[in-house]
Amino acid sequence: MIQFDNVSKKYPLGNSALEDAAFFIDKQEFVFFVGPSGAGKTTILKLILKQINPSSGSIFVNDVDIADKKFHDTLKLRRSIGMIFQDFKILFDRNVFENVALSLEIASAGKNSIKKEVEEALSTVGIIDKKLMFPVQLSAGELQRVAIARAIVGGQDIILGDEPTGNLDPKTSWDIMKIFKKLESDKTILIATHNVDIVNSFKKRVITLDGGKITADEKKGGYHL
Amino acid sequence: MRTFFSSFRRTPYQSFASIIILFFTLLLALFFFNLVSFFYGVLGYVETRPQVIAYFNVETTDDKVLEIKKQIENSGKTSSVVYVSKKQALEIYKNLNKDNPLLIEMVSADILPASIEIYAKRPEYLGQIADYLNKQSVIDEVNYQKDIVSRLLAITTALRQISVFVFSFLILITIIVLMTTTAFKIAVRKDEIELMKLLGASNWYVRKPFLIEGIAFGVISSTLAFLVFFGIFFYVKPYLTNYLLGIPSLPFLGWGQYGVTVWPPSINFVIANYFGIALFGGMIGLIGNYIATSKYIK
Repeated sequence: MIQFDNVSKKYPLGNSALEDAAFFIDKQEFVFFVGPSGAGKTTILKLILKQINPSSGSIFVNDVDIADKKFHDTLKLRRSIGMIFQDFKILFDRNVFENVALSLEIASAGKNSIKKEVEEALSTVGIIDKKLMFPVQLSAGELQRVAIARAIVGGQDIILGDEPTGNLDPKTSWDIMKIFKKLESDKTILIATHNVDIVNSFKKRVITLDGGKITADEKKGGYHL
Repeated sequence: MRTFFSSFRRTPYQSFASIIILFFTLLLALFFFNLVSFFYGVLGYVETRPQVIAYFNVETTDDKVLEIKKQIENSGKTSSVVYVSKKQALEIYKNLNKDNPLLIEMVSADILPASIEIYAKRPEYLGQIADYLNKQSVIDEVNYQKDIVSRLLAITTALRQISVFVFSFLILITIIVLMTTTAFKIAVRKDEIELMKLLGASNWYVRKPFLIEGIAFGVISSTLAFLVFFGIFFYVKPYLTNYLLGIPSLPFLGWGQYGVTVWPPSINFVIANYFGIALFGGMIGLIGNYIATSKYIK
C-alpha cells in the first residue's frame, strides 16, 4: 500500500528532515508516527501527499512510485488520500455540509452523490445534526470531526492525520480517536502524534523517529519517551 | 455565484476599484467608438454627395448645358457628370416640400435652374473644375465641397489613432489594476487555495472563481457604462438633432441595409453597442484575472 525505500529529504540549506527512511505499510493498517518535534513525522505525511518531493529514494503508494519524475498524477493521488490537520483547515465562510462537500466538488461529483456521501460521512463522525451550522458555531472537537468527515467523504483508502488531537483536550481527543478506530476496518490510517496515552492504549504499530531517522518500528508498540 | 458574492464581501474596496476602473475604460471606449462610427457615417454620406454642383442661369438652353457637360467630361478629370434638367429639379423640389403644398404651387420648372453634378477623379481636380465653371457666363453659381472629404478622412483617421492610443493605455492600466486587486484577493484566500490544492484541486478549479469574477466585473462595469453613456446621449439628443439638422440617416459601416444606423441611433445599433461593450468588458476582466491567476496561483 505505502512503501518508503531509503527515502531522504534534505532542504537546500543542508538541514536534513528525513534520512534513509524505509518501511512498508499494508492495506488497512493503523500506524502511529511518534517522536519529538522536528523528528520527521510531518515530513513523511507531506511526502506521501506529494506536498514535497524526496531528495532521494522511492515512495510507492498503491504500487505507483510517486517520487518518480515521470509521475504527474498528483491530483488523483491527493484525491485518493484523506488528510486531517492539527489546525483543522476549515473554511469559515462555508457551513459544515459545504466544507465536507468541498472534497467531492473538487472531484467533480454530481449533486445527488455529494448530498448522499456528505450525509453519510457526517453520520459516521456524529455531527449530522450540525450540517447547516457554520464553523464559528462549533467547538474544536466538532471542527476536527468536520475535518475527518471531509477526509473520508470521497471513500479515500488512506487517511493521514497530522497531530489530529494536538489542539484538543484529552476527552475530545479520545472521542476523535474513537472515530479513527471505527474507520480502521476498511482504511489505511497513518497518524503523526505526540499523544502518549493514545498511542500506548491503542496497541497499534508505532514507528518512532528521531532527528529524521527511524529508531524503532514495533508491530504493537508504544510511545517510549 | 456564491463565491462571487463572498469575494465581493471579503474584499469590497478591491472589487469596487476593479469595477470603477473598468467602468471608466468602457465608458471612454463607448464614447470613442460612437464618435468614430459617427465620423465614418458622415464620411460615407459626404462621399456619396456630388462634389461640385453648377447651377445654370434659368434662360440657358439645354444644348448649351449639354455642351458644357461634354467639355467637363472630356477634361478627363471627372468620374461622372450628371445632368439635372429643370423638370428634374422641379421633381426634387416637390419631393423636398411634399408636406407644404403652398410652396409647391408657387414654383414651376421655368424658374428653377438646370444643373450638373460632378464627381471628380481626384480631390485636387475639384478647384480646377470649379474655376472652369465659374468662368462660364451661362453659369449662375458653383458649389463645391473643396477638400471636405479629405479633411473628414484626416479627422476620422486622427480620431481613430487617438482612440487606439488612449484606449490601449487605458486597457493596460485597467489590466494592471485588475491584476493588483486579484493578487490581493488571492492573498486573502491563500489558506483556502492551499487547502483546495491539498484536496487535489486542479489549477483550473482554483482559478475558475477568479476568472468568473473578472468576467462578472467586466459585464457589470459595461452595463453601468452603457447606461451612463446612453443616458447622457439621449438626454442631449434633442440638442444634437438641432445641431445636426440636415444630416440624414447615417448607416453603421455597411450595415445600413439591416437598419443599423449611427445617426439617429437605431435600436439595433444601441443593442449592438451593449452586447459589444459587455463582451469587450468581459474579455478585459477575464484577461486581467487570467494573467493575475497565472502569476500567483501555481
